[in-house]
Amino acid sequence: MTIQNLLLYRLISLAHCIMGLSGLMLWDAREARAAEAVKVLPATVSLQGANARQQLVVLVGEGNQRVDATRTAKYESATPTIVQVQPSGVLTPVSDGQGEIRIAAGGTVTTVKVQVTQAKVWPAVDFELDIQPILTKASCNSGACHGKARGQNGFQLSLLAFDHDFDYAAITQEARGRRIFPASPETSLLLAKATGRTPHGGGKRVLENSDAWELLLRWVAAGSPRQAKADVKLEKIAVEPAVMALKAKGKQQVLVTAFYSDGSQRDVTRWTAFQSNESAIVNVNDDGLLSAGPLPGEATIMARFMGQIATVSAAIPLENGPPAQFYTQLPRRNFIDGLVYDKLLTLGHTPSTSVDDAHFLRRAHLHIIGRLPTPDETRQFLADSSLNKRDQLIDRLLERPEYADFWANKWADLLRPNPYRAGLKAVLNFDHWIRDSFRQNKPYDQFVRDLVTAQGSTWHNGAVTMLRDRRTPDELTTSVSQLFLGIRLECAKCHHHPFEVYGQDDFYSFAAYFAHLGRKGQGISSPISGGEEVFYSRPVGEVKHPLTGEVMQPKPLFGTTPEIPPEGDRRVALAQWMTADENPYFSRVIANRIWADLMGRGLVEPVDDLRATNPPSNAPLLDALADHLKQNKYNLKALIRAICTSHVYTLSSEPNERNLSDTRNFSRRYRQRLRGEVLLDAVTDITQVPDNFSAMPPGTRAVEIWTHRTKSFFLDAFGRPDPNLDPPCERVEDTTLVQALHLMNAPQLHQKVTSSTSYASQLASSNREPAAIIEELYLLAYSRFPDPDERRVCLTLFTDSPTSRRRAVEDIMWALVNTPEFIFND
Amino acid sequence: MSLPYSNCQGITRRHCLQLGLKAGLGLGMVDLLKATGRAEGGKANTSCILVWLDGGPTHYETFDPKPMAPKEIRGEFQPIATKLAGVHFSQHMQKLAAMADKLAIIRSIRHNQGNHGAGNHYMMTGAPPRIPVGCGAFVSFHPSLGSVVAYERGSSQGLPAYFSMPSMSRSGGPNFLGAKYAPFVVSDDPNGSSFRVRDVALPEGLDGTRFLERRDIRSQIDRLKRFEDKATGDPVLALDEYYQQGVNLMTSTAAQQAFDISQEKDQVRDEYGRNSFGQRALLARRLVEAGVPFITLYEGGWDHHTNIFPSCKSRLPSVDNTVAALIADLETRGMLESTLVVVLGEFGRTPTINKDGGRDHWSNAMSVLMAGCGTPGGQVVGATDRNGYSAVDRVLSPENFASTIYRKLGINPDKIYHTPLGRPAHLVSDPTPISELMG
Repeated sequence: MTIQNLLLYRLISLAHCIMGLSGLMLWDAREARAAEAVKVLPATVSLQGANARQQLVVLVGEGNQRVDATRTAKYESATPTIVQVQPSGVLTPVSDGQGEIRIAAGGTVTTVKVQVTQAKVWPAVDFELDIQPILTKASCNSGACHGKARGQNGFQLSLLAFDHDFDYAAITQEARGRRIFPASPETSLLLAKATGRTPHGGGKRVLENSDAWELLLRWVAAGSPRQAKADVKLEKIAVEPAVMALKAKGKQQVLVTAFYSDGSQRDVTRWTAFQSNESAIVNVNDDGLLSAGPLPGEATIMARFMGQIATVSAAIPLENGPPAQFYTQLPRRNFIDGLVYDKLLTLGHTPSTSVDDAHFLRRAHLHIIGRLPTPDETRQFLADSSLNKRDQLIDRLLERPEYADFWANKWADLLRPNPYRAGLKAVLNFDHWIRDSFRQNKPYDQFVRDLVTAQGSTWHNGAVTMLRDRRTPDELTTSVSQLFLGIRLECAKCHHHPFEVYGQDDFYSFAAYFAHLGRKGQGISSPISGGEEVFYSRPVGEVKHPLTGEVMQPKPLFGTTPEIPPEGDRRVALAQWMTADENPYFSRVIANRIWADLMGRGLVEPVDDLRATNPPSNAPLLDALADHLKQNKYNLKALIRAICTSHVYTLSSEPNERNLSDTRNFSRRYRQRLRGEVLLDAVTDITQVPDNFSAMPPGTRAVEIWTHRTKSFFLDAFGRPDPNLDPPCERVEDTTLVQALHLMNAPQLHQKVTSSTSYASQLASSNREPAAIIEELYLLAYSRFPDPDERRVCLTLFTDSPTSRRRAVEDIMWALVNTPEFIFND
Repeated sequence: MSLPYSNCQGITRRHCLQLGLKAGLGLGMVDLLKATGRAEGGKANTSCILVWLDGGPTHYETFDPKPMAPKEIRGEFQPIATKLAGVHFSQHMQKLAAMADKLAIIRSIRHNQGNHGAGNHYMMTGAPPRIPVGCGAFVSFHPSLGSVVAYERGSSQGLPAYFSMPSMSRSGGPNFLGAKYAPFVVSDDPNGSSFRVRDVALPEGLDGTRFLERRDIRSQIDRLKRFEDKATGDPVLALDEYYQQGVNLMTSTAAQQAFDISQEKDQVRDEYGRNSFGQRALLARRLVEAGVPFITLYEGGWDHHTNIFPSCKSRLPSVDNTVAALIADLETRGMLESTLVVVLGEFGRTPTINKDGGRDHWSNAMSVLMAGCGTPGGQVVGATDRNGYSAVDRVLSPENFASTIYRKLGINPDKIYHTPLGRPAHLVSDPTPISELMG
């Protein structure tokens, strides 16, 4: 709205008031051409009770061009004796009746009807519905304060108010009742501390005379009732607008509405906690006002009110993006490409160019078999003129024996326990079992079913070692749900999950699937744990809810499981439910893991944390990848083939001006530092000096090691998991000072480069021309030919003396290994 | 697989990266690294040398003798007088007894974690293990003292901020703070004539000139494009930064000199003791001088289930000597005011001597030594009962202990970290330091 319009509007409003004319209509007619679409949320308002309140949100424009006018709109009550409106757009009741609010925004005036009832009546204050939201919003029960496991200064509340009975007792009964004093509510410790009247470590959390203060006061004065209305429960919350496009540095107010079991609803925006998953992209304040940063991107904002969660997705597209036609003309090799482009279109990003053959060859080798191509393989591939040589390469790599060890090595991080806890033999068997599964290309659902329902001896069936390591139903629940469903239930073990719908009931009902797991033999006796242990199902054992003591019946987190026969293994039902096509988590979490391995980043990050408040950057793509797995009977190689033969797999890491800031949508490649084992094996391949790992046969490659306890400074430096941490361990791809120093100075590395059996020494003593040696070194380390300038630089190091020849070869080899082009998969 | 065992059930932890020394390239100072400096207040120059006697050193035979206890409890050693009237140490703590006016002995820390894995975690991090852990376990649920100090304080002169020698301790890792704050492990023996810090020294057979030539060759062939715009999140930029830091460390005189223990006078080296532990303590002092805020000296072999008396008789005098020499040396150099020396293990040991002439694990009582960094000397904090069964007077927790260290190093123990998953984690759940030690 321009200033002129605004002035005009004010003038007309004035005239309207004075003369009682329908000035607004006149103004409407004049400005009709400039008016934009205006949407007011909520469309209708009902205010019930003296303390009722409703925030309005005003949106102007359409689609991606829509902007928030909540803070700039002019509000006016047409019925000030019924309803009042604050300049911020908040409505409060005055007296019963049908009222109307006029809102001037977007060059037009919009009206909203307001139904006011019981305007003079203060509703009875309810502990659960009114008081707990105040304590939660004021962070009294946060994990950093009274909500932590031991409380704070003798006052303990349940985390984020998940246990109302506990909190009610803590407030009304503990501390000899001093927290509540109905005769003089202000002096109740609850209020005196919260307002800071009495010294309070947490400071002033509630302002005197605020709405929250008044509610607390009235509640105490009324004798602090547990329930005001019989059995009214919060059922859900909704946030509006839930999907939006923001301009860079734009703002948007959101509105949170709570729906109760008696059919009523309330504006709970001010009692809601908000959190952005990418606060640099879109930040959110305590009042639910979103503010976009300067960069294009996307964020998900979580709104949490009393255990209920809703999300807002906000995107900041790059302005002046190319037309849709641009994207339809991009190369599409399979279903993946189109889904990536669809997303890029919405954000205005354009993909980077494709890499050349040499680059592709190196990338695919490292991704599929975890080793560099040999110089001969590179020469052959580059010389091959067949059109589908890249696809053929992918097929060849998937059949290489190295595939199994490389992918098993990743799963070892997630599954393989510390041998000093679970026993050497059990862990060795488990390691073999994992490798063998990948060697067979066992369908992934079968792999998981075998693990979850494993039975028999640790000495004969490696798969039971997970059960030996995670010894209680609780521990199994945590790891099984996280690993195979991407659901992190651990929080719900002790309290309601703060970002999820799961509570303790869910956790222990899930745990009950493992209640009938029996064991015989020798248990854990670290650090040897050498004995044999046998696992089987037996119809005894139970899991109890830690608060209620109730014996929990097995129940899935959602959906249903098949009937469990009386003597049947409960785990079989669980495994069926987990791996069923209807379970949306199972296929998505594995699809996401594989995508992340091959594309440098998950569609969901962290890769095993799938939840509404952490949505995928491209949900249709994740669904499509998951469907691909289901259609191909969980053949992991088929999914790897699909991803590696897509066009987006070939994109360069080099950004263009329209995808510089894209770090989640795969418009370009995201560089990955090589895993420790891959890097070490690559150094071994280049120098041709093998490692000598303890308890492994000579010539063993690092990806074949059966435990992270095997001594290797190199692997420790490059971030293999600490063997003392329990699986699952996600690798950190960080680079560190220790890594840089190790590559630079480690004696073993120096030894590999300079030993008399080293390939450097062999090349130096051969009769090859310096240029040929340089070419060989580049092919070894970078899987490409040196360019003329690189040749020239390296040639200057060669002189006629034989000692300098060897030295030159060693130095170039050392230098190549120390450069990022070697250390990263680009 | 051959893995050395260090005590009853433990195994020496993998060596993250051991370093070896020096090279004295004499290439002059390169840009020094900037401290990250998150710590508050004016205590940014304080440091801590933590001597960890792994296995759980006996309180009876060190700082809490019980001569009035029955024979099967009091053991074979006699109490000796200290510089403080009425305070006695056990007979082999002679040098420390003679400087008791500079020491604070805490006799009343107790906890409930009676095995190595859990006890180490509790004392090393100030947080009890979240789930029950076994004796041989090496667990990490919370960042260790050293990792937190590295995170909060950073270091200067190109040196890492947290060292652990000769190995990492069981729970001495960074947990959720990330690999950047893991200790820099120096496993090489500074008492050896060929002591070099691995990876910070040039490998054998490579001279400084050739190192520099290689560096130049590398810079010429390093052609991978960098995407300088921060928005791209190019991980290669981090590698470049660390590579440069590494080169700085190699070429920084200050850093290299810190490792060059041979620069110490023979007399000083003799005073610390010509053994691995003694020379590591001396190296720790040099690192403190070079600006390193936290160093753990991890000394195994204190798990005396058997033959405690002959074993203590042979080991205590040298530990007594080294710790006393360290404190005296720090004082002479005016460094004691800013350097905290702590000596402890995971717990104390059982009152009744067992059938093998040893004492077993006992977390109801333990003795901890502190000196320096504003710790008022000449005091004993708290007490155990007449027989040393349990701390009874001024009972303190590992949380109080950890909070004391953090406070002295200028770090607020009451702060809240957030794990990568967003879970709030109190640095120390009870952030009350031991007031008697705060000066």
